[in-house]
Amino acid sequence: MVGAAPRWMAPVALAFVAAIAFFMLVPLAVVVASSLSSSEFLVFPPRGFSLRWYGAVLQSDAYLAAAWTSIRLAVLTVVISLTLGTMAAIALTRFAIPGREAIASLFLSPLILPSLIFAIGLLMVFSIYGDGPSFTGLVIGHVVITIPYVVRTVSASLVDMDPNLDEAARMMGANWWQRYGLVILPQCRAGMAAGAFFAFNISFDDAVVALFMRAPSVETLPMRIYSTLEFSPNPSVAAVSTIMIGLTIVLVIALDRAFGLGKIM
Amino acid sequence: MLIAPGLIFLVLAFFFPALQMLGLSLIGEAGGLTLEHYAKVAVDNFYLGVAWRTLRLALVITLACLAIGFPLAIVIQRSAPAVRAALIIMIVLPLMTSVVIRTFGWLVILGPGGLLSWTLQNLGLISSPISLMHTETGVVIAMVQVLLPFMVLTTLGSLSRIPPDLDAAARTMGAGFFRAIGHVTLPLAIPGLLSGSLLVFALSISSFITPSLVGGVRLQVMATSIYQQVTGSFDWGFAAALSVLLLLVTLALVVPYMAAAARAGGRG
Amino acid sequence: MDTHLAISGVGKTFGTHTVLAGIDLSVEKGEFVTLLGPSGCGKSTLLRIVAGLETPDAGALSIAARDVSRLPPEARNVALMFQSYALLPHMSVLENVRFPLRMQNRYPKPEQIERAAAALDLVQLVDLNDRFPRQLSGGQQQRVALARAIVAEPDVLLLDEPLSNLDAKLREAMQLELKSLHRQLGLTTVLVTHDQTEALALADTVVLMNDGRIVRQGSPRDVYARPDSVFAADFIGGANVLDLVVTRTGGGWQARMPDGTIVALAPDPRLGEGPMKFMLRKEAIRLAPEGGDVGGDAVAIDAIVETQNYLGGSTRLALRAGGLSLIALVETGPDAEAADAAVRIAWNAADLVPLPGDV
Repeated sequence: MVGAAPRWMAPVALAFVAAIAFFMLVPLAVVVASSLSSSEFLVFPPRGFSLRWYGAVLQSDAYLAAAWTSIRLAVLTVVISLTLGTMAAIALTRFAIPGREAIASLFLSPLILPSLIFAIGLLMVFSIYGDGPSFTGLVIGHVVITIPYVVRTVSASLVDMDPNLDEAARMMGANWWQRYGLVILPQCRAGMAAGAFFAFNISFDDAVVALFMRAPSVETLPMRIYSTLEFSPNPSVAAVSTIMIGLTIVLVIALDRAFGLGKIM
Repeated sequence: MLIAPGLIFLVLAFFFPALQMLGLSLIGEAGGLTLEHYAKVAVDNFYLGVAWRTLRLALVITLACLAIGFPLAIVIQRSAPAVRAALIIMIVLPLMTSVVIRTFGWLVILGPGGLLSWTLQNLGLISSPISLMHTETGVVIAMVQVLLPFMVLTTLGSLSRIPPDLDAAARTMGAGFFRAIGHVTLPLAIPGLLSGSLLVFALSISSFITPSLVGGVRLQVMATSIYQQVTGSFDWGFAAALSVLLLLVTLALVVPYMAAAARAGGRG
Repeated sequence: MDTHLAISGVGKTFGTHTVLAGIDLSVEKGEFVTLLGPSGCGKSTLLRIVAGLETPDAGALSIAARDVSRLPPEARNVALMFQSYALLPHMSVLENVRFPLRMQNRYPKPEQIERAAAALDLVQLVDLNDRFPRQLSGGQQQRVALARAIVAEPDVLLLDEPLSNLDAKLREAMQLELKSLHRQLGLTTVLVTHDQTEALALADTVVLMNDGRIVRQGSPRDVYARPDSVFAADFIGGANVLDLVVTRTGGGWQARMPDGTIVALAPDPRLGEGPMKFMLRKEAIRLAPEGGDVGGDAVAIDAIVETQNYLGGSTRLALRAGGLSLIALVETGPDAEAADAAVRIAWNAADLVPLPGDV
């Protein structure tokens, strides 16, 4: 278009976008910068350059335990959520179940509820009927908040699948577990991978459910960071955070390499 | 069937706690059904103040996200594909990190020795260190950074459904750059802006981590208040009542949002 | 000579692909020009350049003697009717048609409404003013788009394949209406189409484009009778193209067909000895009864019918004559029905038109 936008719009738009980009990314950048500071206090600009905080983190029992808890938790969450969610997605997209729409909404309903409210409810249930918050309770909580993502991504994959594939397999004599194992599930690979990615990420990063289901022996990495920030902030927090950011980026890149982000997002 | 395990799990793990909470909120100190917990909220000035602050902050955050998100979405929508992909990554990447980490970053920026203070001092705008910690302004700034992606993504969805011919038509009919946006783009983007606003508002009022870390103990919002009740005072009936109230307001916002999103998705 | 729209030396390249090259065109005030050509020939791009929606890489544009090359679309007084109609979905029919008047701020609001209603009247759309685009049929939407394009009395009216989304019957009716509208309003009009019958039916001037260039330009009759190139002959009307060898004979010219048959040629300054291509329209060939008189200027030769397609009022015959394959479109009647293996065909010598241009 001739004169699509006024001349002065280009530099203004550029400045605006740059400002927003800065605003969005500066908290993360600051965290990374602080992790390399040699001083004991969280100030800006960070004084000196040192990797000592990474060393401190890697040697800290508390952080390592929290990391291990987080990883165990996330992996369990992914496995259970993926299983239940994939089964539900297959049932919802391939079979005409009465009340299908309503059931589909049910599976997506945890998305509507802020995790805060759910976490409180979960805590109350475990306290009244059980011994209070526990690792199991945390797993259950995380599975609930991640199932909708798995159902959504796997359903999307299934909906895109060519319906003729299954029929062709049937005509070639495959029985039901061969069809699912060799034809249908492989088609949902991208959807399952995306669902697993979301489930892992959400579980690993979650602070709210972990906070309410916090028990002495159960502390996740975000919880550790939160506690440290509440009471005695120091740059080791920044180091842990930077490691977590790095892990996220690695996961995203791995997912992109394996499946191509464009196809999933 | 396949559905059964997932469904049973959800019913037990999700709906049951929700119902449990509802039940708790309705059972009084002495046992028996009562609305006394809800009444406590209505008469106690402190909690009314907390509720009012929660709503007020959510409103400011939503308006800020609208003001920034709409122009940003337009820029992204009209950029070349490579630029658009980069901008979307920039928006989405913070979402992939834990909110604790992002909020931690804001602590370093907003605190007395932090980036903001240091920059303003070096620019000569202020003479002594300032801190936005434990202020409502600080909370709003941090929350906007956390929630802006939601506004931008829903708005982008709406914008991408507007046929490109419409803007060109408006231009040939005599509308300039801004008038074309005002008469054509904006009215047609309203569904996306509306659902984005509902989403941001709903997420704001139930937000815990950021108000808790940036606002501190003295700047209570609904979420931190509930946390206090549950872990501090152990007044679970009251906490349940507060939670149910929060849930009702959230549902009132999110249900129209999902309806609007479903309608837009179906038509598009 | 009142040049209203002058396009000089316009060129446009997308990446490595040259879409338009060296386009020169002048349109008089009130003239109806159609840009005709196959997909990808650049006609829509040229239209969009006139509208200001594409920026040319070379050349200049002037409207009503004013250089508009650097003006944005809203500053040129042109109206564009989009192939997709581009009706604003959130405004009523009346508001859509009123929009250009609102933007140009020329009249007070009541008069804007009056003029919009009058435009809708002109395109024969009654009682739909308060409806919304999604409530209208395709044909109705098209009329709204047309009303919107004429309401602001533009210097140039641009129409981008305005009838291509309509079914055949509606298209025919709309062609008549467009012609009538043009006569009533006298707007300088440029219409883009890939349909050659539409181009011939509506235009004062047909501009045939191919591969980013103007290949033939002229009145519909002129372009149809003397296409001057194989491409034009084929694109407009479809024709038989014959490779013949021209020879002089006494006071005139004649051509030799591949199997040696000699046919007479009408005099034409473009004739020269040697091989040459000729156009023979399908409808120019008729069946001549054996031994009958074919008329003074006519040429008659023997032919063999290979296939027939009954088309209702006419019959299409695939023939072999003079060593060439020919297609004829003859009137269905006793002669056509009697056609079988061997026939005699005839045409007027003047119907065998030389095609001097390449392609």
